Amino acid sequence: MTVLDPQNPTSITDPVLLEKSFETISSLSNAAGTQAIAAAPQKTSFFSFTFRAISELRFVKFALASFVINNLRRRYQRSVLGFAWSLLNPLLMMIVLTSVFSLLFHRDPRTYSIYVFTGMLPWTFISESISTGSLSITAAENFMKKVYIPKIFFPLVAVCTESINFALSLVSMMFLALFVGLKLHLTLLLLPFAMVITFFFTFGIVLALAVSTVYFRDLTHLVRVILQSFFYFIPIIYPLSAVPEKYAIYFQLNPFTYFINLYRELIFYGQFPTRHEWAIPIGLTAVTLFIGFYILMKREKDIIFRL
Amino acid sequence: MSAEIDITNASLRFRIYRNPSPGLKETFVQQFTQKHKAQLVTEFDALKDVNLSLRGGDRLGVIGLNGAGKSTLLKMIVGIYPPYAGQIHVQGKITPMIELGTGFDHELSGRENIYLNGALLGRSYKQMKQLEAEIVAFSELDEMIDLPIKYYSSGMHGRLAFSIGAIIDPEILLMDEIFAAGDAHFVQKATHRLMELFSNSQIVILVSHDLEQVKALCNQAIVLHKGIIVNEGSPKEMVDYYLKEIVHLETPELPSLVQPMSSSLS
Repeated sequence: MTVLDPQNPTSITDPVLLEKSFETISSLSNAAGTQAIAAAPQKTSFFSFTFRAISELRFVKFALASFVINNLRRRYQRSVLGFAWSLLNPLLMMIVLTSVFSLLFHRDPRTYSIYVFTGMLPWTFISESISTGSLSITAAENFMKKVYIPKIFFPLVAVCTESINFALSLVSMMFLALFVGLKLHLTLLLLPFAMVITFFFTFGIVLALAVSTVYFRDLTHLVRVILQSFFYFIPIIYPLSAVPEKYAIYFQLNPFTYFINLYRELIFYGQFPTRHEWAIPIGLTAVTLFIGFYILMKREKDIIFRL
Repeated sequence: MSAEIDITNASLRFRIYRNPSPGLKETFVQQFTQKHKAQLVTEFDALKDVNLSLRGGDRLGVIGLNGAGKSTLLKMIVGIYPPYAGQIHVQGKITPMIELGTGFDHELSGRENIYLNGALLGRSYKQMKQLEAEIVAFSELDEMIDLPIKYYSSGMHGRLAFSIGAIIDPEILLMDEIFAAGDAHFVQKATHRLMELFSNSQIVILVSHDLEQVKALCNQAIVLHKGIIVNEGSPKEMVDYYLKEIVHLETPELPSLVQPMSSSLS
């Protein structure tokens, strides 16, 4: 315990105290820094930062689980069917859409609806995660000022919550697919792998946006508009082949297309995606994760003061 | 493992933004109107060159006026606010009793909140399962424990929060002005439990405006003033110093208010 402030006369009025503080200073320097938890800004490499940010999560793994469970529970709280809604909700929505498609389009409504859903469900996951996740740090302001919690906690909670919904709606879709007589292929076994890639890809975007939203609060409106328009710029309700050739290049530049393509191959076409079709989403995931963690690294110590 | 806290020359700087959440538009406009930029941020040092070294057995009282940086010091030790200069080294599990009830989900029942709050303190479901009965018994919420906590009175809310926070014997205990809510009976019980926590913890830092409490519970004290540790020593000396130098200094025109307080305490 020590007092030492040369600039401030009040602390050096007492000579005994001053002497004591020098003693403490010297003892401090001996014991200094075996495991500093919060140090002054110092150069850390990107990888050591990312490693630390992720390993910090082990202290909050139980909190992560309970936040996700509570989020899901709250959604269907006080409803008679309770958690069954998380299966029923997407199922009912898909049944409605299937009936609408069969009225509107002159395609085989049954297979067409599954085609649409294989694109729509991953897109719903990505866009919902982004729209709730990008606000997650700002929304948790009161929390973060009162307890220490790693900054990536709330973005992660948002994406985890949505990914469970996503998994459940995929299950509902399987039921629907069986019902309309679509064959389930062996390629479904690779679906978890595709979901893991999509999860991390989305998490990278969410992390970057959640940190940026702290600095630019109106980013959220921009994000919402972009997400809405993307629904039409991604081949979800139409096949890529329906796009006029001169515009096709722009659609191929859209990163989301490659993720949706994975699900379509695995579920709808029952084909193993080519090496190329795997490599692009994995590469994009690395890019978004890098951007997300890089932005966090640059801003981590500043965020709390900006909330 | 013995708990220890070392803070070396730590300074914490707050930046107050006139517009705390600038939009994209403002940021864009600012690029062209550079002259306004400087006025938008005011900085002040909430803590300046703080040095502390605590070991097992230390019971530190922190006294100072409102806004002196007492709570901020605790929050810096927990890791909420990173210092812009200096080092903080903490060894041992910290139990912050800073803002009890943080993280309560008002839609969930008291029982569910026990698990949620425990999870925030890093406890697993299994660990909380073992403590659950004890927490429920201590809070005396009985069958109310299964109601959503939005139906709780503030007293019940406080009791639950206290019971969860106080159930685990910490290595490092940080306390900020919590002296339990509730009726006289619960306050007595809680005070008793706090004494237990005090004696079972290796290191305690107590922030309090109750100077008698600091004198009774702590074995050393610091006086914080405008973010600087202006004096340190035995609790009794520090309380006297605080009343004489700081309180008096800050309220020279109101001696009548200060006088009875200091006379009752000395």
